[in-house]
Formats: sequence, structure tokens, C-alpha cells
Amino acid sequence: MSVHPSMDRDSTEWWASLAAHALIFQRCSECQTWRWPARAMCHACGAFAWRWQPASGRGEVASWIVNHHVFLPGVPAPYVVLNVRMAEQPDLVLPGAFEGPYDDPRLVIGAQVEAGFADCPGDPPAALLRWRIIQSIA
Amino acid sequence: MMLRDRTAVAGVGWTEYAKNSGVSTLTLALRAIGSALDDAGIRHSDVDGVACHRVGDSVQAVLVAQALGIKDLRYHLDMFGGGGTSHQVVAHAAMAVATGMAETVVCWRAVNARSEFRMGGTGRAAPDALEFQYQLPYGYATPPQQYAMLARAWMHARDAKPEDLGRVAIAQREHARLSPRAMMRTPLDMDAYLASRWIAEPLRLYDCCLETDAAVAVVVTSAERARDLAQPPVLIAGAATGGGHTLFSNGRADATVSAAAELAPRLYAAAGIGPREVDVAQLYDAFTFLVPLQLEDYGLVERGETGGFYADGHASLGGLLPVNTHGGHLSEGYVHGLNHVAEAVTQLRGAAGARQVAGAEVALTTGQPGYVGGTCSALILRRDGDPVHSSGQATAPMGNEGNGA
Repeated sequence: MSVHPSMDRDSTEWWASLAAHALIFQRCSECQTWRWPARAMCHACGAFAWRWQPASGRGEVASWIVNHHVFLPGVPAPYVVLNVRMAEQPDLVLPGAFEGPYDDPRLVIGAQVEAGFADCPGDPPAALLRWRIIQSIA
Repeated sequence: MMLRDRTAVAGVGWTEYAKNSGVSTLTLALRAIGSALDDAGIRHSDVDGVACHRVGDSVQAVLVAQALGIKDLRYHLDMFGGGGTSHQVVAHAAMAVATGMAETVVCWRAVNARSEFRMGGTGRAAPDALEFQYQLPYGYATPPQQYAMLARAWMHARDAKPEDLGRVAIAQREHARLSPRAMMRTPLDMDAYLASRWIAEPLRLYDCCLETDAAVAVVVTSAERARDLAQPPVLIAGAATGGGHTLFSNGRADATVSAAAELAPRLYAAAGIGPREVDVAQLYDAFTFLVPLQLEDYGLVERGETGGFYADGHASLGGLLPVNTHGGHLSEGYVHGLNHVAEAVTQLRGAAGARQVAGAEVALTTGQPGYVGGTCSALILRRDGDPVHSSGQATAPMGNEGNGA
């Protein structure tokens, strides 16, 4: 159901954390702005000092799609991809898979979700995000 | 120094639009450039600058320059990027001419987007973008998926219905039926639109642009020189680029307003022309919803009013603001934005035949409004002659009251 992620030198730690089933983001040591994907500099204040910080793992559905076409070999249709807006900061938005059927009526913009992890075969060890609904507004 | 009206598009050229061109992108580029030079009445030996954009899917600009026989390449732009850069390429050419770096710059986009490199297809290599690692593992990799994600959020915020997107596809198909160049010329009605298969919900097949083998070229030179050439000059009144954020925004939490909203006031100020003065608009339409989104973000229609604008026929020929008169990427063909520039020029020359917008003096033509590629660009073109407008201010958008017409 997935493809093993490729990584770059900035993102290795993020992927390693996901493989250990922990969701982390960079956080600026100066202005405390969260950021993702991994970048060397804070886009808000320009500082280079930062740390990885565990996130709540909670957010809301910013948008979602139902894929009815096999876009990638190994990922059979239909399947959902979510964009989740993290509780930490409104511009912290990231994609992931959905734990539920593609026509789940609870899946609406604004539904509250929580991060789950799905191990992904391959080397190095990896996991992907699989969001589950904890509170729907439908 | 302002760019306003200092340069002009002196020639436009197209290859055939096909599902399989059977030739290289180098040959496509040369054919379109040759056609544009013939149109302008310029010899190939007079070209001293080249400019194109590509995403690893087309011939290098320098090889086209060599093939044109250029020995002293005074301006060279080979930009990485998709539809968001299409209008930047023309803007850069205009800057090169306006500053005296070059006299005559050819701009083109050449791609075998159906037979060689399918943007929406399967099995292609991932583009050279750091952010794809966060999408690919989920089977989330192609433009229809990325724009479906944005379309859902926009439709939710505007309470837009599938029929609102369907009217965009149908209006553009009607325009394409009047163009011998268009690939899709059979009628499309709402039932057929709604019955078309899902690609990535909320986008159906007819929400998606065509994949086309084609090239389009335009010739940019000084306005002064253009007045001595074969065609009536079309002035580059204003140009602007924008954007910066991508799908992974780091700064824009709301995906329902595009980078065009920030670009637009600068564009209108650069041109000294406001949105109410635009007679015809060619808006980047890789997917239907981008058209109403840009009508909002370029200040042409009030937010939330685009559905009624289409339902009332205002975006069709004979309406208040005909949009994508060539059929756009949805029905003419997908040449990554440059075919919008070519259609704007054709309209301003009064040479669009059955699809001509009567009295068109000012055209807005736009590239992709940011998001996936991260950048955005647009041009305001106008017919040569005394300036028809002098406000220099971006005026209020058209509301329900229309544009005073």
C-alpha cells in the first residue's frame, strides 16, 4: 500500500523518528515557530538555532482526496490522501494516509484526527503517517 | 526604469497539437520558433536571445540557440519550472530587451507531454523537488492529485458545487469548438461532465487538462522595432511574478487564496491598468477550479461570486469577460501556459476569427497561481496605440452589478 520513502540529508532524522512511531517537527530556538519540512533556517525570524520537538500528533483535516486511478504501482485504488493541519500551528500542514474506508462519511474538512504509524518495508526502517478520526463534525 | 509598454510581442507560432508528434522536443521548439519568426517577419539570424522553461522534459535552451545558428548569445534563460514560470519567461525576455541586453528574444515551451513525459501519468521519475519525498510514499505524486487537494478546500470555502466546475469545462469547450487548432472540439454538456470518471475526487476527467505534444513560441522585441515588423505590435504593458510558498506552505495556512492575490495589485500597478479594464482573460487552467480561483485572486470577480458569473454566461464569448477563448489547457491543448500568451496576442491583433472578442484592447494572461511549483507569474498585454487607460490604480473587482457594461 505504499512506497518506501527516499530521504535527504535534512530529513533523515524526521524519517527516523517516524520509523520509531514518533511525530516530531523542527522548532526555532529563538522565536519558537514550528516548521516542516526540515530546513536549516527559520522562515519567520531567520535564526539558524533549532531543535526537534515532539508534536501533539493531533490536528484537523485541511483537505482530502479520493484517488480513483492507480497513480503509483503498488498503491491500488481507490485510496484516500489527507492533508492535516497540525494543532501546533495553522501553517503546519502535512499529508498522510487514512485509516478508514475511502467513502467514510466522517471524513470532512475540520474533522479532528490523530497520527498513527504504518511500518513500511525496506531499508532503512521507515514508517508512514496514517491518520485516524477522533472526532468528526459531520 | 519601468517595463511598461517598452517591449512587444512581435510574433507568435505554434506547431500542430498532437498525441504523438513523432519528433524531438528540439524539432518541436524549432518549428514553433520558425513559425513565430515568419509571423513577425524576422529572420532567424536576427535572434540574439533565447528563453524557455522546463521541468526536465524538454531540450536545453542552449541547444536550441545552437540550432538557430546563434554565435553570440546575448541573452539566455533556461528556467526550471512548470506553469508558474511560463509568463516569467516572457517577462524576462522583455526585461532583457528593455535593458538593451538583447534585441530579439524568442521564448518557447516545447514538450511531448503525451507521448514522452506524462505529467499525470504513472511510472515517471519523481521531479527534482525535495518535497516529493513526503508525498510519493502515499501514492500522492501527480498534478491532478495535488490540485484535487486544493480544489476540495476551495470548493468547501466557497460552497462551490460540481456544476460550478462543470460550467468552466463546458464554456471552454464551446470556445474550442470555434478554433481549428483545438484538440477537443466535440460538444460537452453537464450530463457528460458529471458522468465523466473520477480521477482524484473532487476532480473528474473533464476537470483535467489535456496531455499534448506541442510547442508554442513568441518573439519579444522593442516596441519601437515591432512597429516596423509584419504584425501589429502587442505591447507588454505589465509583468509580475509572485509566490514563494508551496503545498508545504511555511507561511500560508489558507490554501483557498493563491499567490496571485498578492501578485495582482503589483501587476495592475505595473501596467497602469486595472481589473475592470481587462477585456479578455487567459487564465492558467491545468484544472477547472483554477479558473474561478484566479477570477477571484486577480480581482475580476468578487470572492464567492464566480459560480453565478459562469451560470450567467459572463465568461463566455459575448459575456462581460470572456475567459480562455482558445479553449485553454482543458480543450485547446496543454502547452504549459505559453499558449495562453499566444491566444492573448491573437485576440489583441483582432485575428481570432470566430472566437474574436469584439474590440479587445487589454488582455490578462496568467501562469499557474503558485502552490505546487511555488511560483506564479502573469502579464498584461495591450493593443498598440494611445494608452486607453491612465488610472495606474487597481480598481475594485467586478461585483454582481457587473463591470458597468
